[in-house]
Amino acid sequence: MNEKVMLIDVSKCTACRGCQVACKQWNRLPAEKTQQRGTHQNPPDLTPATWNLVRFTEIPLREGGVRWLFRKDNCMHCEDAACQRACPVPGCIFKTAEGAVVIDTEKCIGCEYCVNVCPFEIPRFDSATKKVYKCTLCWDRIGNGQIPACAKTCGPGAVTFGPKEKMIAQAYARAKALGGDATVYGDKFVKGTHVMYVLPEKVRMYEKLTINPSVPVSVYLWKDFLKPVSVLAIGAALVGTFFHYIIKGPKRPEEGGE
Amino acid sequence: MTNHWNDIANADVILIMGGNPAENHPISFRWVDKAMVKGAKLICVDPRFTRSAAKAHIYAALRSGTDIAFLGGMIKYILDNNLIQKEYVVEYTNAAFLVDEKFDFQDGLFSGYDAKGRKYDRTTWKYQMDAKGIPKMDKTLQNPNCIYQLLQKHYSRYNLDLVSKITGTPKDDLLKVYKGYTETHKPDKVGTILYAMGWTQHTVGVQNIRAMAIIQLLLGNMGMAGGGVNALRGESNVQGGTDHALLFHIIPGYNPMPRATDKTLADFLERNTPKTQDPKSLNWWKNRPKYIVSLLKAMYGANATKENDFGYSWFPKLDEGQNASWLILFDQMAKGKFKGFFAWGQNPACSSANAGKVRKAMETLDWMVNVNLFDNETGSFWKGPGTDPSKIKTEVFMLPCAASFEKEGSITNSSRLMQWRYKAINPPGQAKPDLDIMHALYQKVRKLYKEKGGAYPEPILNLSWNYGPKGPDGTIKHPDPHFVAKEINGYTAKDIEVEDAKTKVKTVVAKAGEQLGSFAFLQDDGSTTSGCWIYCGSYTERGNMAARRGKADPTGIGLYPGWAWCWPVNRRIIYNRASVTWEGKPWDPKRAVIWWDGSKWQGDVPDGPQPAGDIYPFIMVPEGHARLFAAGLADGPFPEHYEPLECPIEKNLMSSQKLNPAVRLFGEPGIGAGADKYLTCDPRFPLVCSTYRVTEHWQTGVMTRWTPWLVELEPQMFVELSKELAKERGIKNGERVVVKSARGEVDAKAIVTERFKPFKIADQTVHQVGIPWHYGWVTPPDGGDSANLLTPTIGDPNTMIPESKAFMVNIEKKGGK
Amino acid sequence: MAKPKNLILSSTVFERVVHWVLAGSCLFLFLTGFGLMFHSLSFMANFFPGGHYIMKLLHNIVGIIFGIAFLFALIAWGKDTLYFDEDDKKWFRVMGGYLWEVEKVPEAGKFNAGQKMFFMVLFLFWFIMMGTGIFMWFPIFPAEITRWLYVLHALGVVVLGGFLVIHFYLGTYGNPGTFQVMGHGYVTKGWAKKHRPKWLRDVEAGRRSV
Ligand code: HEM
Ligand code: SF4
Ligand code: SF4
Ligand code: SF4
Ligand code: SF4
Repeated sequence: MNEKVMLIDVSKCTACRGCQVACKQWNRLPAEKTQQRGTHQNPPDLTPATWNLVRFTEIPLREGGVRWLFRKDNCMHCEDAACQRACPVPGCIFKTAEGAVVIDTEKCIGCEYCVNVCPFEIPRFDSATKKVYKCTLCWDRIGNGQIPACAKTCGPGAVTFGPKEKMIAQAYARAKALGGDATVYGDKFVKGTHVMYVLPEKVRMYEKLTINPSVPVSVYLWKDFLKPVSVLAIGAALVGTFFHYIIKGPKRPEEGGE
Repeated sequence: MTNHWNDIANADVILIMGGNPAENHPISFRWVDKAMVKGAKLICVDPRFTRSAAKAHIYAALRSGTDIAFLGGMIKYILDNNLIQKEYVVEYTNAAFLVDEKFDFQDGLFSGYDAKGRKYDRTTWKYQMDAKGIPKMDKTLQNPNCIYQLLQKHYSRYNLDLVSKITGTPKDDLLKVYKGYTETHKPDKVGTILYAMGWTQHTVGVQNIRAMAIIQLLLGNMGMAGGGVNALRGESNVQGGTDHALLFHIIPGYNPMPRATDKTLADFLERNTPKTQDPKSLNWWKNRPKYIVSLLKAMYGANATKENDFGYSWFPKLDEGQNASWLILFDQMAKGKFKGFFAWGQNPACSSANAGKVRKAMETLDWMVNVNLFDNETGSFWKGPGTDPSKIKTEVFMLPCAASFEKEGSITNSSRLMQWRYKAINPPGQAKPDLDIMHALYQKVRKLYKEKGGAYPEPILNLSWNYGPKGPDGTIKHPDPHFVAKEINGYTAKDIEVEDAKTKVKTVVAKAGEQLGSFAFLQDDGSTTSGCWIYCGSYTERGNMAARRGKADPTGIGLYPGWAWCWPVNRRIIYNRASVTWEGKPWDPKRAVIWWDGSKWQGDVPDGPQPAGDIYPFIMVPEGHARLFAAGLADGPFPEHYEPLECPIEKNLMSSQKLNPAVRLFGEPGIGAGADKYLTCDPRFPLVCSTYRVTEHWQTGVMTRWTPWLVELEPQMFVELSKELAKERGIKNGERVVVKSARGEVDAKAIVTERFKPFKIADQTVHQVGIPWHYGWVTPPDGGDSANLLTPTIGDPNTMIPESKAFMVNIEKKGGK
Repeated sequence: MAKPKNLILSSTVFERVVHWVLAGSCLFLFLTGFGLMFHSLSFMANFFPGGHYIMKLLHNIVGIIFGIAFLFALIAWGKDTLYFDEDDKKWFRVMGGYLWEVEKVPEAGKFNAGQKMFFMVLFLFWFIMMGTGIFMWFPIFPAEITRWLYVLHALGVVVLGGFLVIHFYLGTYGNPGTFQVMGHGYVTKGWAKKHRPKWLRDVEAGRRSV
């Protein structure tokens, strides 16, 4: 495997939002009509046309002063991708050799299964096209030896991209150097993600960052239990009735009852 | 920048003050981050908690316009705690120099003040000279007239209590910053300062930077890798713009603009060529005549001869005492003194302080030519808000021009790095590169002068204009930027020989007709040309140096001497001779910029090729020493705190001079006194305000407001204010409000934030707010208008840069009190 | 249609139409649903122009038809099915005589206890399938809730799947003659005597028509 990881070192991110624009440029996504709503975060959330959003969180500190945290939010490209498990259309959500989890929008039927099972609330449904969209890890670039558009544009070097093992090592080294509450986010759940963070603060300090994410239990119940069981149930019923027929036999009306 | 962008990575402490590089120079943070990864500390001082502050180890808030008080406190802290790099200060700065005994400073005024003219007679601001004409020194620094003692006396008043009362910065925070930054007084610790318009756009703009320069000198941080005083330029090519004399008072290469009273070239050169008697002072500007004559030769070519003073009389001149700076130009325009106006690549209807006045001023014009990428508020001023198009006589011409990637040419960035750029795509429609537009314009003007004559046709007709290949008919069809670049560099008309100091053997270093390799070869006899002497060496016989893309880093400190080309003479860190001892040993061997290996210099191109110990390091001043005491400025040799034109407190706590005594006042105070009205300490405008930029837009937004992706990020004019103020005013986050000043008002959306906090100033609570200046009524439709409708017409006495970083406003809810 | 000799009408036209709309839509839902659930069955999408998207859309629309049809089913059979009486309890004790030999199967009315139970289950799962299906189609609830609808819907498939197979068997091979009830609607008296004696008495006594 040629697995790659995008490492987002939040401690270096200055919220310049170059990545947000680069993503739109590379993926030819339209601008959205927005309003100043009392924050620099805009659009307010991920949308079908915004696959990469820099989130701004202001946290007043008890000891005085303020923290202003920035986080680039996009698909985590899970190794165990709940979205892919859920998708009803074969080949619609597929994984590349690099580990990118990609939606083939041609195939997407807009059932929104992926939207509702993603532990990171990533995919977004477009009611106009009736399809779902999200970050592709620029699979069309990385498959050709390029790095993702957002990583390419990131001036401060907060977003880097490279071989999985190397990036994980880099992430841990950086978190260690930062010290304090710094952690690495990404390698310890859903069998590892192909987008990882170095977080200088605790996970809960960041807007919309899932604490202890996992593939939802409901997905296992649904796809790994009930799905096979439904065949079993029908099969069992068929077998049961068959044996009933040959052992007990049908119930015939009494002769001459007319 | 004395240093360069990559060099930030070498710093141990980075002070961000008067700037916000994370937002306005986003790429700079690549180097800031690199430094921090290596363990550097980042300090950010700003009225508002910015995106830069978000990354800082230490943040301190200060009220807009009080930087000198803040830095003065730091100077006092350094002196009190003896944190100077002693050897550096004694040997390389003018600390030991003795100043005229009549020099004085009393209650905010330096000696020689003329209250009526609002200016200083600077005759007492000078060094004492010995019999040989060399400045007197006391290297023990004990003489009461030595600059070190004067400095100590001047800043003794900047104690923590007073500074804290003026700036509103809690004393703890002041100490944290002072302590953190002055760590770099150790020879092997280096600090850098990154500043921008937050320091310059004040009535004490130049002195803000002076104050920091003093600190850098005391700590021994000038000339060092990871040190210096670094102005982060706000536009990719604004450094190039100033180098090539976009300002009224200088001509290319930082030479002074001739005045009408300089009747002959000799007069002009005599007045402007500094002299020294000190053999150890290289006094670089002694070469000025060579640069001026070479410039005149570049301008007038064969028409410039020794006999006609190289065409000096055709060269434009200022009247004696004339100030033709931006604010004055528009003041004159408002008074109907202009017929026409070329608005070339600019948008004064939004960018100029007191933009309302500027918009009105443009109504007096007969014509305007607006050269820009897009329509803007300047070209469309006649249909702006509150304007009746039927009453405007001005005829406006729009000339669409090519964007940077639609033409070839060079830009010079803050690192003084001249980089060649190539054309990526053709300009759209009728848009043309600026050079083509200028070329066409010149041909037309020249033709008119030639055919119809005119008041004084010689300056136009004698101009040499060889900016492209000539056709058989002698005309240039397409101007070519390479021709311009070559002329800027310059060539020689005759062989140039240089004599070896030891062997006395002469060798020819440049043959007649060749491009010159260095300004060292420029002559004052008319045999050489150079359009801008500092760029001599940029386009040589070896080709276009700015197009080089070498990635080698032989010193390991990121100088990359083979990448593009940097003025002067590809020197990446200027004043680098101050980074070594007299013997040529680096103060900081880990990050050596240059070193003397016993026979020659290694590392960067040194400031002067002379052997170690032969010359003083600061070669650009006649005394060869960096100036803690600088006599050349309009408002004093030492920075002193004065309040902004509009401020929230009745009294300057430092002295009874409230406003910088040397600034030029426009109009009179009080509402109703014309467009230049201002109001200070007026209860109607109780809030301190500053303008700024955000990452997502650029300048007045003419480029970015037409880019939907960027409008999506920052769609509307906003005002940031503290939770406390919002509560007082009943303003909710995201609500529409009106921001008003004595001059105008703008609508904005409120951003109620933790990132602004009320200040305690002189025991009263003062609120500060901030607004971006990117918006304008042309687009986007619901975007709002320019913050500069609020800013006052007042400028720094040295540069006339407007004071848009500190003025007074009020905020009201939209539609009522 | 003229009344055939010796036969007795066991269901109205209304009942039969409702049944077949219900059955047809249900079968369609099963097939298309499985086409969505199993990638191995995704070839089914090829039967629809527009592929998976149309298959899913038809599943949703037919779901609505199914839902409405069931309302009519309630009108048709609700009063005969949505209760148990004493005989039904006894019926359960011997499991209707389907599983082991019994002396005498307790007498049933129009529907025996097993059929009633089937209908009740169908009622419950009609509710579940409609309730989940509609909000899977239009997910207005938060993801945390919606993802459990998928589970319930699949649970419905399991239960209904089993029940429908048994229902099919009992309605055809398991009980010869029964298919007629939903076919032309006429059954023999002998069949009626065996399967719904109480009902037969009621009809013969004129207490009910069908
Ligand atoms: C007897 C009745 C029904 C059966 C047997 C049935 C069967 C199925 C099956 C097997 C699936 C695939 C589930 C999976 O992928 O795990 C499914 C999905 C779905 N069903 Fe049903 N279903 C029935 C009724 C309904 C009804 C009444 C509706 C509502 C209109 C409905 C709406 C849906 C929806 C929205 C989906 C999600 C898949 C998609 O949107 O393509 N179903 N159904
Ligand atoms: S480009 Fe880099 S620094 Fe800028 S917002 Fe994105 S991640 Fe942050
Ligand atoms: S983050 Fe969500 S959308 Fe992305 S791969 Fe994981 S489950 Fe799928
Ligand atoms: S919405 Fe599209 S991508 Fe998501 S699960 Fe459904 S078919 Fe797959
Ligand atoms: S990887 Fe590509 S698609 Fe994903 S956020 Fe970055 S630029 Fe956008």
